[in-house]
Amino acid sequence: MGWLLNRTSKWASVTVMGLALTSLVVGCGTGNGGNATNGSGTSANGTSGGGSSQNVTLNETGSSLLYPLFNNQWVQAYQHTAPNVRLNAASTGSGTGISQAVQGTVQIGASDAYLPPSMLSSNQGVMNIPLAISAQQVMYNLPGVTGHLKLTGDVLAKIYQGQIKYWDNSALTALNPGVKLPHQQIIPVHRSDGSGDTFLFTQFLTDTNASWANTVKYSTQVSWPSLSTGIGANGNDGVVTTLAGNPYSLGYVGISWLNKAEQKGLGYAALQNKAGNFLLPEAVNIQAAVNEMVSQVPTNEAISLIYAPGAKSYPIINFEYAIVKQQQADPATATALKKFLTWAISTSGGDSAQYMTPVHFLPLPTSVAPKSQAQINQITG
Amino acid sequence: MKKVSSGIKTADKVFHVATGIAASSPVLFLLAIAAVVVVQSIPSIRLMGWHFITGIEWNVGNTYGALMHKNGVTAAAGASFGALPFIIGTLASSVIALMIAIPVALFTALILAYRLHGWVQWIVSILVELLAGIPSVVIGLWGMVVLAPFVAHGLGPVLTHVGVLIPYFRGPVGTGMGLLTSGIVLAVMVVPIITATTRDLLQQVPVLYREGGIGLGMTTWEVVRYIAVPYIREGFIGAIALGWGRAMGETMAVLMVSGNAINFLPHNLYSPISSMAAVIASQLDSAMSDGSGMAVHALSELALVLLGLTLLTNLLARLLVSRTHHRRQGVRA
Repeated sequence: MGWLLNRTSKWASVTVMGLALTSLVVGCGTGNGGNATNGSGTSANGTSGGGSSQNVTLNETGSSLLYPLFNNQWVQAYQHTAPNVRLNAASTGSGTGISQAVQGTVQIGASDAYLPPSMLSSNQGVMNIPLAISAQQVMYNLPGVTGHLKLTGDVLAKIYQGQIKYWDNSALTALNPGVKLPHQQIIPVHRSDGSGDTFLFTQFLTDTNASWANTVKYSTQVSWPSLSTGIGANGNDGVVTTLAGNPYSLGYVGISWLNKAEQKGLGYAALQNKAGNFLLPEAVNIQAAVNEMVSQVPTNEAISLIYAPGAKSYPIINFEYAIVKQQQADPATATALKKFLTWAISTSGGDSAQYMTPVHFLPLPTSVAPKSQAQINQITG
Repeated sequence: MKKVSSGIKTADKVFHVATGIAASSPVLFLLAIAAVVVVQSIPSIRLMGWHFITGIEWNVGNTYGALMHKNGVTAAAGASFGALPFIIGTLASSVIALMIAIPVALFTALILAYRLHGWVQWIVSILVELLAGIPSVVIGLWGMVVLAPFVAHGLGPVLTHVGVLIPYFRGPVGTGMGLLTSGIVLAVMVVPIITATTRDLLQQVPVLYREGGIGLGMTTWEVVRYIAVPYIREGFIGAIALGWGRAMGETMAVLMVSGNAINFLPHNLYSPISSMAAVIASQLDSAMSDGSGMAVHALSELALVLLGLTLLTNLLARLLVSRTHHRRQGVRA
């Protein structure tokens, strides 16, 4: 800025004033920047306009597993129940759902994962409220193989750690006698974004493989073992696209994407549960797993349902959570949010069979619904 | 002389303030952004030190477990942030992009400036500029659906034959999601930028010089080689630097075709990679659910490194420009 020195002092002083003013503006800007960047549905987070029935916008971001239910079913259905409430949904991954709800950018953060203890303790008044039961399947693109492969968590952990490299590995053929597996390299696909599906899958591997439990552990984003044959994909749709485009690949996909993935020619596995049985993610098996776990659900409802005991329990099931702040911006938003969540967990509302069946979800068990309701009742404006 | 009214004086003051604010804002924005990134990076710098640049393991740590205290900062247990794979991924993919884009852009610009005329030139120019306007996510989609399978089953297997000469071309080719595909996708985005700038430069080469060359019996190639290209060299290097910056900072398209590698360095041309910008984009949200906040600080440090690298390449380009400038002055004298 040497040129400044050549100008008159008046010019310089004016510029300095300008600098000061601009720095003020910039200062404010950086403060808000964090909130503005990810706002896929940032239109007013509260009320707009008056009238007798106040119009309220409720924004939801997060889980791509919940998205087909929320966006394709609930948004339209709720229009009839409460015409003054406008719902916006975005599939951004559970990581985004959690962080945006905690920041208050959106009213509902959808997540397949419950909140980490460190988040619950550092953010007073953030709740994880189960809305429905979901599951996850392990899918593969194996040309020439029909039917369902049998897989265990231990074998999957070894595949993702690079210890099992080929489809005709003895561990795989031993599980699947009679299936002709090709001598082709396995392409393990993982989620590159922060994902509840990653959370569920890595929790399953943590429960079934000791070395996984000691090194990688579980989270919405883990430090994947270095494996140059593997690839990362963005969102459930990205995983399905990647699996479909790469023969001999393997990945984990949320159950709401099952129909779409099957249309693309992907197969899905029967997974071994704690009792040693190989089960498909069918409603009865998911329900059996739920029944085993309901008695253990705590008041704050942060619990893993993975690898449940019981002969008929499918091993990867979970609560679909709404991450919600107790304290909302204003009473109208709080009321609308409570009303919507109450509708969502009701078996005559959002959890009714007509919405659950197309995405293979199950409604909340009757003993869990009151616990969700108790949390919903804590929302205030 | 015209009398100066108070109205004119006020207008002059307003003008001074407005220009002062406007002129100082770019500097301030740069400083403000840099300051925020630096401040946000400090905890991560304290945690990792130089290991951030030399380390290979990128691990947010066990966010569902206990916190750990190290070097006076708090992070999730087991957290370790080594960004070398992302730094290498960014540099390698952008350099591949430039190696493809520079000849393509130069030749396209030559054709546009000297060979095509009238409406044909107009249409081709528009097409090149349209290419620059395609959103990167669209190019990424094309890369994912069309280019990656082509690299995996067509281009890659052919290129592995070059592996006899250059080890990095050796297989396995993998899924097509990786370094080469990222480089090609970036090249598609960089070509229009370099082409448009270079075309404008070539059109500024005085006709007398070129006609002089032709008059001396030079071929078209010789005119280009000995007259046009030397004349535009400085600007051309600037155009390349512009393209390089774009390639290093590109986020979405790379995110879609890179294979999102983590924890390992690329071992050949087809290996999955990840770039710094793509990692920031894909990990920021789950980083925010790290209760210790360290994951966000680590991504800030990644942004700081990216900022630093971009500045470095810019400086490098300036250095090259000034060097050729001196040399040319020497020749003239």
